[in-house]
Amino acid sequence: MSSHYSDKFVYHEPGLQHQFDDMGQQEESVSIGMWFFLVQEIMFFGGLFTAYLVFRSKYPMAFAAGSNHLDAFWGGLNTLVLIVSSLTMALTVYYAQKGNRNMQVILIVLTMIFGATFLGVKAIEYTDKYNHGLIPVAGLNKKVKAEAGAEHGGAAEKPCWEVDHNAPPVEHPNPHGEFIWTDCSLAKMALDENILTASEKNQYLVRDENNKPVIDTNKFRDKVRIFFFLYFVMTGLHALHMIVGLGLMTWLLWSAFKYKYNGDYYMPVEMSGLYWHFVDIVWIFLFPLLYLLGRHFIHGG
Amino acid sequence: MNAQEAISTGYGGAAKLNYLTNGTTLKSWLLTKDHKRIAIMYLVTVSAFFLMGGLYAATIRLELLTPASDLVESGTYNKVFTQHGILMIFFFLMGGLYAATIRLELLTPASDLVESGTYNKVFTQHGILMIFFFLIPSIPAILGNFLIPIMIGAKDLALPRVNLISLYIYWLGGGLTLFALMQGGVDTGWTFYAPYSTTFSNSFVMLVGLGIFINGFSSILTGLNFIVTIHTMRAPGMTWFRLPLFVWAHYAVSLVMVLGTPVVAITILLLAIERVGHVGIFDPTIGGDPILFQHLFWFYSHPAVYIMILPGMGVISELISNFSRKKIFGYEFIAFSSIAIAVFGFLVWGHHMFVSGQSIYAGMVFSFLTMVVAVPSAIKMFNWTATMYKGSISYDTPMLYAIGFMGLFLIGGLTGLFLGAIGLTVHLTDTYFVVAHFHYVMVGGQVIAYLGGIHYWWPKMTGKMYSEFWGKISAMLVFVGFNLTFFPQFILGYQGMPRRYASYPEEFQVLNIFSTAGASVLGIGLLMPAVYLMHSLFFGKAAGDNPYMHPGLEWRTSSPPPTENFEVMPVVTWEAYEFGEESGMDLEAAKQREAVTA
Repeated sequence: MSSHYSDKFVYHEPGLQHQFDDMGQQEESVSIGMWFFLVQEIMFFGGLFTAYLVFRSKYPMAFAAGSNHLDAFWGGLNTLVLIVSSLTMALTVYYAQKGNRNMQVILIVLTMIFGATFLGVKAIEYTDKYNHGLIPVAGLNKKVKAEAGAEHGGAAEKPCWEVDHNAPPVEHPNPHGEFIWTDCSLAKMALDENILTASEKNQYLVRDENNKPVIDTNKFRDKVRIFFFLYFVMTGLHALHMIVGLGLMTWLLWSAFKYKYNGDYYMPVEMSGLYWHFVDIVWIFLFPLLYLLGRHFIHGG
Repeated sequence: MNAQEAISTGYGGAAKLNYLTNGTTLKSWLLTKDHKRIAIMYLVTVSAFFLMGGLYAATIRLELLTPASDLVESGTYNKVFTQHGILMIFFFLMGGLYAATIRLELLTPASDLVESGTYNKVFTQHGILMIFFFLIPSIPAILGNFLIPIMIGAKDLALPRVNLISLYIYWLGGGLTLFALMQGGVDTGWTFYAPYSTTFSNSFVMLVGLGIFINGFSSILTGLNFIVTIHTMRAPGMTWFRLPLFVWAHYAVSLVMVLGTPVVAITILLLAIERVGHVGIFDPTIGGDPILFQHLFWFYSHPAVYIMILPGMGVISELISNFSRKKIFGYEFIAFSSIAIAVFGFLVWGHHMFVSGQSIYAGMVFSFLTMVVAVPSAIKMFNWTATMYKGSISYDTPMLYAIGFMGLFLIGGLTGLFLGAIGLTVHLTDTYFVVAHFHYVMVGGQVIAYLGGIHYWWPKMTGKMYSEFWGKISAMLVFVGFNLTFFPQFILGYQGMPRRYASYPEEFQVLNIFSTAGASVLGIGLLMPAVYLMHSLFFGKAAGDNPYMHPGLEWRTSSPPPTENFEVMPVVTWEAYEFGEESGMDLEAAKQREAVTA
């Protein structure tokens, strides 16, 4: 006789899976599994952080220039939203342990609202990049036809570092939706103050007719594009994790609504909470790296 | 014992259900959460990939028989290959035998058929199938999956559903890769070096990359599952230092899988975006960094080498101890050397990049650390040797594989030191010396350990005994064929023959003929187990629960084990590898074993 049949007559705690002996063992297993999964996630993002580190140390001015185009207000708002959502998530775990169903439902809904807000803000930011031709893959940006009457020739004559930062933004013609970057004032400043790194000198500059090094718009643009590439991959992967998190929340909401969690069984809530906090923490690193570093070149003197 | 045997093998009246008979529908297999069934499904799939990778290898050896590149013809080869798989299996069977004769006829350099692009695809696909779809999952996903829960006295892995998902992910990734090979394959080399793979290669880089990306998560989930299981599912009395060394090795492997694989996943993702969007992150002409790709790639792919060899070392620890009838020498040292290899394995990736243009100081550090990894590997070798010393050695099939492993791994490991020496490497990089070195470790190490393990635990997995005679013959054929194939390649490499070329100067031909001849012997040796193991499934003798009189937990349940592994939860009161009276596995019992097998 197989142990299958005898199992039916043995008392089983609700939620205990067949391979475990008791809830303690199950909770320990699930918890270790989740922590190692998060370690795996750290390595996953770690590859991107490494790439960021390498290119930032190679092209600090291009990264500062790209970083300055990101809106620290939206980034800061999102940071705030995520931190508060972590609080509501932590409270959800607390109320799951207490077996308070109504508070669980309210807090999960709040967490989901914050998560959706984050994604909404991200969508606003991405749209802005789309409109300004800052998506690094050619063809994915807004296609702006060159107007027949408009005179862009005059602007093109001006060197790329002579930019009026207070002027209203100009929409550049971009018939193929390519990546556009016309402002190399930061690199020029660094060149004048002689703080360009060796690899920057190598990679930004060309010799003009007097054999003097000058900034090359296209060369500088390529480096800014690498910044935006990393920006999109990192925040995109993060947003993907947020979407998965929202899926988890939907499932939690349903099962919490069904009175599933109480002091004896709350691991799904706690594990989803761990995941949520992890995604939050990734953002805590992304925000300063992408939005804040290098701002002092323009905003702080 | 006999009565028990009769029941477990189904000859008795009321047949007891084991994991193979508990549900016989396709659905009961595809939706199973039983780690043993998942292991068997892995076995079937992994073997198929091994065969495919082997076919590519056979093609390479046939091609290299003559200096000119004349066998592999334009484009069509790949399609024929995969679409007519059965014909090709036949080709593989016969190809080895006929190789010498065919090559005698084709000694004239027929340069009009040259298509080295196809040769590039053949060695690339050989590498990809063998590494990602055979070597990495071979021992962990098959033997590890099957044995770890039983060895530690658990009913199943801690996360059985995750285990099943990992199998499906493996199928999905493997299926995509096979589809890509059918479409025309990939020619970048298994390393996907940028910017060739991102900018220039006109083959199915994206699709194969996607297959490997997906497959990586199978590996991660398997590793994750093992770690959790080993931490939390051990039976009462099964302390960390009573674990079989097989389990310790898998713990170390799992750490590497969980920590390393995500990095290659993100690398492939970057590669894919770069290939589609041409952003320039790996393109040096617009400020990108191809060396960064190599760093990220080898950060996983060097530790992956240890994913490929550590489980083999775990198997060998079991085999050496059992067939010497002796407690393993230096248990703690072997256990911790596995962990040490896993840790140091993460610090030596740069030795693949000595000539890539990385900093010379980085090269020196990587060179030194590479030498350091030799220490834990040597600890294992010495401890196995010490275990055999004054042991009561019997030369059963698995033991032949184990002894073969020790010899081949010794050569593979020591030539690894040659390659880790930064000065010598400048001469040897990208020559056949490297090819020979990693085949000595990967094939001479892992494949041979895998075969040894499959033979050793075959009675447990199936309840049947294979033919010892054919087992020994094939083990010796593999050993001889392997050395004949790959030893000449050390000399070829030292003389300067570069890898990855379809044609070569004529002075290299003699050694290449040796190599191809050896490959035929090796191929036959590798195919034989497929025949006699399958034969034993239907006609083999019943093996009994414990044919080796081994004290390990896996031998204290029936063969094949029931679905939840044990009728009653075992309580462990003995140390690992205790062949004496304390564990009830004394010499008297060993004699009884001989009586049973006779």
